[in-house]
Amino acid sequence: MPTAPSSAEWRSAVADLRHLLWFRARTSRRRTARIAIATIGVVTAAAVIAPAWWPDRDAAAVARVEGLVPAYLLAIVALCIGSAVASGGGREVLARDAAAVHPVGPFTDHLGALVLAPLSAAWLLQTWCLLGATAWVAGPHPLALVLAEAVALLWVGCATALGQVVGWWVEWLRRGTRGVVVVRAFMAAAALVVGGSVTLARDAIGQLGGLPHPLPVLAVLLVALVALVILGGHAARLAARRPPRDEAHLESRSYPARRAARSDLRAFVRLDRGSVWRSVPVRRGVGFLTIAPGLVALAHPLPWDTLVVLPGLVVSGCVLLFGVNIWALDGRGMLWRETFPVAPSVPLLARGWVLAELLLGAGVLTILLGSIRAERPTAAYLVAAAAALVVVTGQALSGGLRWSARAPQAVDYRSARATPAPPLTMVGYSVRLALATTSTTMVLGALAGLGRTDLVVALSVILVAVSATRLVMVERRWADPQRRSRVVAAVSA
Amino acid sequence: MQFGAVEAVSGVDLTVGAGQAVGLLGRNGAGKSTTMRVLAGVVPPTSGRVEVCGRDVRTEPIEVKRLVGYCPDVGGLVPRATPWEHLQLSARLRRLTDWEPQARDLLERFGLGDVAHRVTAGFSHGMSRRLSVVLAALHEPAVLLLDEPFDGVDPTGVEATMDVVDDARARGAAVLISTHLRDLAVQACSEVSVLRGGARVATVEAAAMAGEEGARAYRALLG
Repeated sequence: MPTAPSSAEWRSAVADLRHLLWFRARTSRRRTARIAIATIGVVTAAAVIAPAWWPDRDAAAVARVEGLVPAYLLAIVALCIGSAVASGGGREVLARDAAAVHPVGPFTDHLGALVLAPLSAAWLLQTWCLLGATAWVAGPHPLALVLAEAVALLWVGCATALGQVVGWWVEWLRRGTRGVVVVRAFMAAAALVVGGSVTLARDAIGQLGGLPHPLPVLAVLLVALVALVILGGHAARLAARRPPRDEAHLESRSYPARRAARSDLRAFVRLDRGSVWRSVPVRRGVGFLTIAPGLVALAHPLPWDTLVVLPGLVVSGCVLLFGVNIWALDGRGMLWRETFPVAPSVPLLARGWVLAELLLGAGVLTILLGSIRAERPTAAYLVAAAAALVVVTGQALSGGLRWSARAPQAVDYRSARATPAPPLTMVGYSVRLALATTSTTMVLGALAGLGRTDLVVALSVILVAVSATRLVMVERRWADPQRRSRVVAAVSA
Repeated sequence: MQFGAVEAVSGVDLTVGAGQAVGLLGRNGAGKSTTMRVLAGVVPPTSGRVEVCGRDVRTEPIEVKRLVGYCPDVGGLVPRATPWEHLQLSARLRRLTDWEPQARDLLERFGLGDVAHRVTAGFSHGMSRRLSVVLAALHEPAVLLLDEPFDGVDPTGVEATMDVVDDARARGAAVLISTHLRDLAVQACSEVSVLRGGARVATVEAAAMAGEEGARAYRALLG
């Protein structure tokens, strides 16, 4: 059976995608979508224009940023591949169950994942950094700026398409015989190879900047983009021919009975832990978010002021896996859970506990991996790392529980590609989380660098108190049966 | 019962006595499931008075939940928990002792003994319905609320559900069954109430809804 898509199939896929995107647009909140799209447009324009006409550009500063551009180029490739692999082929335009009744083919699915890939805070932030750095280097020369930014954008496009190709191929491998073991071995080998050749790749990419004219580079990138999109369609078709193995395995295996829990809270915690760790997207996401930064830190030892920032990134990423729509884990079981004769605070506390232990565990593991090859830390850095972990967990937990009660949605976590909220909503959540946690950890790292342990502790206590106050407010709102019934109705729809 | 500007249920005056089984019939959107959710304490009523065994649903929701066994109309199962884990949680929160033989017996009667330790995400619709009835019946509640318990269920499951209803009535429980299947409602209940547009339009002896004559009467009540 041929696997290469014909031009007719591509045309049909583009037409189907247009209908699906129209459907998604109609079912999302228009005002929120307009604000999000306008914000993305404004920030992108600012990233392209502002650095080029910045008044204090001097030769030394330009050279310094120019040296960073290859690292940005490489980082976006790693990000696109990592997120496509972790999400089992990228995002779905339509949830799997809803799409099952429609003739949505693998090419449509592939194109949809490509179109939705930019709707991620990590992708947007990396792209904005790259566009800004490129504008800084190109300077206030309109033609040179346009050509340089075109190269940067095409590079981002190629990285995104390459990510999809690798994502589909890894998914095809994962769905094969002993696929999970094969993929884990493949990923470990790839991490070692990539870790050992990062410097080489960065230098090679750096050579591209020395080319006399960007037009040939533009042409090569354009051809590469088209080839990668076509290759991705081929890989998506191969992956679609195999049933998803992870989900089937989790749904058909037997889980032995355990002794009864000794308290109501423990009983809820046990059920909630099962809901989290038996969910394919959450397991994969936590694994990727915890291990990837740690592996980077293992391959290239990071200074402690950077290690202090890592928990913020990891915790923000982990809470976005399910914590921003936490009641959706119960699906229609939420109706049943609401019939128990217990105070509403008990299931809320259990859910918060399970989320907090996951966030803290991921953060601790990242710091431990990072510290293996790092220099011996000062006492201030050790305190800052511990404080950063506690503070960002509090911020993520209070944010996640607030949003879960404010904008609940029904989500089918059976699919490895499921996300807890629509793409634009996820961008909003992730930007807000990233801003809060990253700025906090950077300040804590800076204070530790100055040796001010006392200020690190004082700031942490204040921030934890703010999060605790927000959590108390969440608990009060959750006690209102009307609000709770709205959440139940939404997630069990 | 109001959802925003939509009045879902209004003017439902319903009493179910001890040892009695009442069927709730009506078209889609008639307000049957909303009525059941209010009685189960899942959705608080926006107005009116709802009492379960003399307890006000609005002011004593936890007491009401202790008295009620509820099988929701949609799923009602946590997708990544096994039937046994569902039963364990229910037994723990309702302070049941020596519940395991009863739970095993119910699972066997409903044909779920072989899948007691598999997550419910892989269950068919009928299996999910059957497990929901088991969960509602485990603690032998004083009020048994079954919302569409026969939907997509095979004859063995229907028979087991009928047995659960009979057992509940025999021990003096009040049973309310919401269903689209008129024949099964007639078989399981002594009375049936018909809802239309969120209001009760009639309550008649179940026998009056049986056969061709009953079908005609039912169609007339649906409007």
